[in-house]
Amino acid sequence: MSDPLLEVDDLTVQYETDSGMLTATSNASFTISEGEFFGLAGESGSGKSTLAKAIIGGLDDNGQISSGTIKYRGEEIQDLSDTELSQRIRWKEISWIPQGAMSSLDPLQRVSEQALEIGNVHTDLTDEEIRDKLKETFDIVGLQESRIDDYPHQFSGGMQQRAIIALALFLEPELVIADEPTTALDVIMQDQIFKYLDRLKDELDVSLLLITHDISVIFESCDSVAIMHASQIAERGTTDAVHANPRHPYAFMFKEAFPDIREPKRELEVIEGHPPELMGDVDFCSFADRCPWAAPECRAGAPPTESVGDDDPSHMTACVRKEEAYEMYQSDTSPSDDGGGAQSIARMGEVD
Amino acid sequence: MSTNQPVLEIKNLKKYFEGNTDIVDMIMRREPPQIQAVDGVSMTLEENESVAVIGESGCGKSTLLRTLIGLHDISAGDIVYKGTPVSEFDKADWKEYRRNVQVIFQDPFNSLNPKMTVRESLAEPLDIHGIGNKEERVREVLEQVELQPAEKYLNRKPTNLSGGEKQRVSIGRALILDPDVILADEPVSMLDVSTQAAVLTKMKELISDFDVSMIYISHDLSTVSYIAETVKVMYLGRFVESAPTKRLLEDPKHPYTEALVSAIPVPDPTYDRERTEMSGAPRDPIDIGEGCRFRDRCPEVIPPDDIDIDQQAYREVMSFREFLEREEVGLERIEKIVEVNERSALVDAIQREYFDHELTGKNESTLRSALTSLADGNEDLAIERLRERFESVCETTPPEVEAEPEWHVACHHHTGTDRRTVAGGGGTNATDDSGSDATGSVAHAENQ
Repeated sequence: MSDPLLEVDDLTVQYETDSGMLTATSNASFTISEGEFFGLAGESGSGKSTLAKAIIGGLDDNGQISSGTIKYRGEEIQDLSDTELSQRIRWKEISWIPQGAMSSLDPLQRVSEQALEIGNVHTDLTDEEIRDKLKETFDIVGLQESRIDDYPHQFSGGMQQRAIIALALFLEPELVIADEPTTALDVIMQDQIFKYLDRLKDELDVSLLLITHDISVIFESCDSVAIMHASQIAERGTTDAVHANPRHPYAFMFKEAFPDIREPKRELEVIEGHPPELMGDVDFCSFADRCPWAAPECRAGAPPTESVGDDDPSHMTACVRKEEAYEMYQSDTSPSDDGGGAQSIARMGEVD
Repeated sequence: MSTNQPVLEIKNLKKYFEGNTDIVDMIMRREPPQIQAVDGVSMTLEENESVAVIGESGCGKSTLLRTLIGLHDISAGDIVYKGTPVSEFDKADWKEYRRNVQVIFQDPFNSLNPKMTVRESLAEPLDIHGIGNKEERVREVLEQVELQPAEKYLNRKPTNLSGGEKQRVSIGRALILDPDVILADEPVSMLDVSTQAAVLTKMKELISDFDVSMIYISHDLSTVSYIAETVKVMYLGRFVESAPTKRLLEDPKHPYTEALVSAIPVPDPTYDRERTEMSGAPRDPIDIGEGCRFRDRCPEVIPPDDIDIDQQAYREVMSFREFLEREEVGLERIEKIVEVNERSALVDAIQREYFDHELTGKNESTLRSALTSLADGNEDLAIERLRERFESVCETTPPEVEAEPEWHVACHHHTGTDRRTVAGGGGTNATDDSGSDATGSVAHAENQ
């Protein structure tokens, strides 16, 4: 974990819609180092999938990078053409485990045929070399090498998922982007998949950008995390720092909204409403309308991203009231305060 | 708990579906396979109680719910509502039952009519059951589910509501007839985590405020403590464990529950959770016999008393025989890999393909002779050889014990040693052909 592998700097991504430019990602910045597992968390509608698609040039036709840069190993890649991305970046440098991965294998092709298709498009390797690489990767994800010529239906669900991981890895990429890889799966299956993702870290030194709404799996598997709300990155840093010392109201409320099996009766945080759809420039805090501690200055300009000032130099947050809000939050939810629950319930009426 | 009778009693309820048959099956007049979606479930729901039924997808929990509201016919067993079995219901009883047993569905995005306003959606059940005072009742319910002020919501259509708001309307719609029982099918799984808590808390409150009982169905053990005092864990159509929620989460007893609890991610980077060792997915609930439902994935399956074998090696032998019985061993594929056309080479190849752990002595020789039969094309003999030596008590008898008061576990690890020995002794008695396996062990179980 040393040199930056991927640097996203001040990135704004917009979609052209009938009612104007819809901003999905607004001035987002983060860095993923070699060998780092990086989690991007947020509710649905926060713009996290858009951000990932922008990295590999996979935005929909009406989407565009309006400003900012994406650097891969120091080279700006946001303006590369589709052909260049395919030849140089996609799959052998940055690969992709899609959302709903269970249905992303072609049922009519053997897994090895699907690998050959990928390999022939993105590399100059011979078919034999591609097959060998796939066999090696099958072994890593715990599938028998002899099964690369099976059809997807010959695998069980969990094995299909591992075959997909193998397909994302067999060209030895430096970075794997996994978009909600386990959403809609049962916990046991999810746990098995993360077991294999963990193993990649030890055996291949690959980096991972994990996109999910489930902050629990990020806290378990990732080194760093960015928490995103309606186009803006609210807070980022190492998982340890963000977990121990969150400063952005969205970060600590979102974190506290997750149940923890160790504390089955803990009051869960409730965040009113849902992320807004934003048109044009986002020159305010996108969380202001949902934030219990919002002040006029939150709407006066986009909050600057500043260091939190703890042990972790990468720990940054974008909240103008970060100190006050956190203090108020802490005094509200201190264990002695029995009203914590009542307060959460009182906040429950949703605002549209 | 009141002294009254329970609101709902489910007695050994079964719901089987007919599986697919092909033309050959029809010509041969074979019976279609029976899919045992719900296979002998019993529970009681007391007044004002909320019980959670937890399980993975495919465990039969949604079938159970649909059977409870009469969307599926009952294959066997009965449902007793306030003392009257549904099998004796006439038309009027059904109407009464449907009024008093309401459902909240999983998907708030599709379970409300997009053309109806909130007012119309809520008033519809009142129309159907001929209840007056509609406007007043609708407003009252909106207040109860905290969609306030009512004016703001009454004329909205579902597209203008957030997921959390939609689910509240669904809850309101379920409550508006003042039911005795609410059946909730994963009511929060489609919602963002930020609103899950709010909806769960609201449901919990309503249960106690309105004297409603609830069966809450979900795959998610992590939030169940917010809604139910009792949890029943379901696997392949049966309850494998049933206990008070808090205690079950702290100390799960059934190996399946253990795996479920241990697989839940913990939102804490400093906590070092062990990942589950379990692999695979539930099998199809066809021809599963009377043994433990979890036996083919269980990491602690019990070998016969008289053989000495490593657990993981035993697990492999068991799984291999299950593959054979379900005709899932890819013999042709292995034959293709082995180029030498020799029996011993084929036997070696099968062993390499399916077994990572070494066996010794009699275990090894039994396996080899079974594999040799298999290589000769005699699958039945292979199965019989393996069964004779390796059959587990977990395959033959249905375990069901009360480990502690109010705590039921369907696992031989929690039965007394006496019972285990008896069952184990009978286990080797399976000389019938593989086909009659299920009936054979039923009879065997009844003999005890």
